Amino acid sequence: MAGLASGERLAPMEKGRRLAFLRGLGALFQGGTVLAAAALTVFVGGLIYLLASGAAPALAHFGGGFLLRSVWSVPTSSFGGWPEILGTLLTSALALLLAVPVALGVALFASEFAPQRWRSPLAYFVDLGAAIPSVVYGFWGFAVLVPFLRGAVEPALAAVTPGIPLFAGPVLGTGLLAGALVLAIMILPTVAALSRDALRSVPRSQREAALGLGATRWEASRMTVLGSALPGLVGAVTLGLGRAVGETIAVALVIGNTPAAPRSLFSATATIPSWLVARFAGSQGLERSALFELALVLFAISLGLNVGARWFLGRRELRSALPGPPTRRRPSLRHGDVRPKGSASAGVPSWWDRVEQGRPPRLRRRRQLQRAVLVLVLAAVVLAALPLASLVSTAVAQGAGVALRPSFYTSEPGPPCGLNASQGCPPGGIGPEIEGTVVLLALGAALGIPGGLLLGIYLAEYGRRTFGRGVGLLVDALLGTPSILLGIVLLAIFLRWDRPDAQSALAGAVALGVLMMPIVAKATDAALRSVPATVREAALALGFPRHRVTLRVVLGSARASVVTGSLLALMRAGGETAALVLTAGVSTYWLTGLRGPAPALAPFIYDALTVYGGSPGYVAEAWGAALVLLGIMAATSLLARLLFGRGTEAGAS
Amino acid sequence: MPAKMRVEGLNAWYGSRQALYDIDLELEERATTAIVGPSGCGKSTFLRCLNRLHEELPGGRVEGRIELDGENLVRADPALVRCRVGMVFQKPNPFPNLSVFENVAAGLRLLGVRRHDELEEGVAEALEAAGLWEEVEDLLDAPGTSLSGGQQQRLCIARALAVRPEVLLLDEPCSSLDPIATARVESLLARLRSDYTLVLVTHNLAQAVRLADRTAFFYLGKLVEIGETSTIFHRPNEKLTENYVNGRFG
Ligand SMILES: Nc1ncnc2c1ncn2[C@@H]1O[C@H](COP(=O)(O)OP(=O)(O)O)[C@@H](O)[C@H]1O
Ligand SMILES: [Mg+2]
Repeated sequence: MAGLASGERLAPMEKGRRLAFLRGLGALFQGGTVLAAAALTVFVGGLIYLLASGAAPALAHFGGGFLLRSVWSVPTSSFGGWPEILGTLLTSALALLLAVPVALGVALFASEFAPQRWRSPLAYFVDLGAAIPSVVYGFWGFAVLVPFLRGAVEPALAAVTPGIPLFAGPVLGTGLLAGALVLAIMILPTVAALSRDALRSVPRSQREAALGLGATRWEASRMTVLGSALPGLVGAVTLGLGRAVGETIAVALVIGNTPAAPRSLFSATATIPSWLVARFAGSQGLERSALFELALVLFAISLGLNVGARWFLGRRELRSALPGPPTRRRPSLRHGDVRPKGSASAGVPSWWDRVEQGRPPRLRRRRQLQRAVLVLVLAAVVLAALPLASLVSTAVAQGAGVALRPSFYTSEPGPPCGLNASQGCPPGGIGPEIEGTVVLLALGAALGIPGGLLLGIYLAEYGRRTFGRGVGLLVDALLGTPSILLGIVLLAIFLRWDRPDAQSALAGAVALGVLMMPIVAKATDAALRSVPATVREAALALGFPRHRVTLRVVLGSARASVVTGSLLALMRAGGETAALVLTAGVSTYWLTGLRGPAPALAPFIYDALTVYGGSPGYVAEAWGAALVLLGIMAATSLLARLLFGRGTEAGAS
Repeated sequence: MPAKMRVEGLNAWYGSRQALYDIDLELEERATTAIVGPSGCGKSTFLRCLNRLHEELPGGRVEGRIELDGENLVRADPALVRCRVGMVFQKPNPFPNLSVFENVAAGLRLLGVRRHDELEEGVAEALEAAGLWEEVEDLLDAPGTSLSGGQQQRLCIARALAVRPEVLLLDEPCSSLDPIATARVESLLARLRSDYTLVLVTHNLAQAVRLADRTAFFYLGKLVEIGETSTIFHRPNEKLTENYVNGRFG
């Protein structure tokens, strides 16, 4: 009533001015979304240009043979990318082979078989697994998995299979097998979460149709659920493969990182990302160009995989709208009678007649099959939980001691101390790393969240037009670009702009912002589209200008999803390592400004194991940092689940 | 008429919330029983108890006795119960990933029918029985969801009939259909009436009068009254029933 009254009191002049003001605001806002889309287009174009122009000298010098030669020699300026390319393909394929059956089992259990009240905690743990930073997986692989492989698995494999080249060579622990296993463990939660989402998106009415016919749960899954969810499942697996291909840090820590083509499962080798992160910052001249060429190859592979995955994931709704194929079969109708077979007096012949005719409905076998599938699926859940449990318990066991000291959070890491641990290292902390993480995340979020929001609104409003669809593809491409490539490109940009201080807090923050932007954009786009058109129409019919409808009404009802998407983006950026190792540089000191190198939690773990050569004091602090990261991820996932009733599922990534 | 199914002291819950209270009734063999009552009175819940689909819902729990030919279903194998007691749902739900042919064949395949000629015969019979054969003869390989709404619902009826259930449960099968499709489904049900034991939940009282031999009136999770359809509609015992059938509420 009050609104109406005040509206009536507005003089016509005033009303006109107010409308003009609103229109101006609307234009400004619209301009912002278009600007965000344009900036994204320029950035992705620049990314491709920088990679290509960086690779040009190597392309000219080595020609096509670069891709097939196994050599990396700086003194003789002779480079070839075959080991890294082969290593990337082998580790990813092997990881996929190991992870997909287990992930599908977990998804089936979580979506179809688990008792109702287990599903929510299960979903939480799957989300948590997907949220653990890859550097923590790598650290666990380095500290637990590799010694286990070296001490138990690999000698046993070699012993039972003498002479088989696949299991030959020195037993190091690090190598192809370790890389593939860590990758498999790392992508498993992502694939499981996306597959579960695909299964859950099959409406309940379909399950009931199958159950109503007398299907067991497994039969219902096989008959309709898996079939209907197939595009989503293929998309999930493809996205998992994309993740595996682009993973950098976890692989770099366990694969041995040696530029030699693998000869067996035990060989130390390298992947393109692991080789890039090890060599790029210190490279120059022809080596740098060769690395650019490898980066270009990686970009092409992951682009193909991600565009393919999105295509499959987007096909979900298309399925039922497909026109029918031409008819092939045409059973002859022998029975014209409406009444089913059997004498009329006996009523409808049921399956009991068949039973009497000696054709039991195979119930016992079907029940056994159901039970067998249940056992398999449960085994998958246990198998998936084991590494996660080992990771968490190791981090607690190794990190709790340091992490319980209050000074751990306020002091600098102790200076690298003697490798002889008995000398005792002065107790250090991760104060600068926490400070750096907070500053980098805040600056990154200041770029990534508003940018992503504008971009997402642009996609929702214009995503169906030609140019808008192109922008959507670019967002997908950026989302699927391995973060190591973002690191390389941003480092290249900052090197052109500000050579001495290229590796800086500023560059790191921009990298995190670019990383977050497409995640927020996708979440916003999806949330906006899920608001029913009727809500939008109702608001428009009331005379609200378009931008206010978007901002107030639509964004208002989609707020929870947008906030969840932003949380997911913050989590991803908070655990990011590869891009920061390149852009933010190496430092263990408090920030002095944005133009100097910046420490952060995740890169510190990597640096402690590589740059600082695993100095015991640093490793202890790295465990503390890993535990802190785990705690933050666990708390944030839980918060998202409690606040918004849904997980930070990997679906938005 | 002998009782095909007998329900005794049936209580059903969703979690801690009770949806059905002490239902006792009998379903006569080869007769159609309509179940009427206002929205939310437990009609669907009751129907889903009869083939044990209720327990598949989150928190779904059942107590009491449900007999089919004197055998207690509550302890039987649910898969077996469900192929003896078929179900047609409120919204047509053909399998979108299967063709028209495979939709109808799905139940037969579950029962171990493998030979193609047997499958074809069963499918053709069921489609004929559902009055759909002529319309889909040339569309057998098209996705089940490519048919019109009314055709989809008859496809679902054919799918249920293919395994030759003894009892067929229909939960407001016409509520999502237009008047013409409704008329076709009704004439189909009228033809099935003499051969099957049908249980029809409906919101449409005229439909109950047209199709049902007996009618049960549910209110707030309780069975108020069951009897001959004409009795229920003209001379009900309960005031509540009278008010409902005369359109005073619901
Ligand atoms: N899945 C469910 N979870 C919780 N309560 C339910 C569910 N389905 C139905 N109910 C409740 O049970 C009661 C009976 O519902 P239902 O059997 O669907 O009624 P009807 O089919 O007569 O409209 C209603 O009060 C309804 O709110
Ligand atoms: Mg109902």
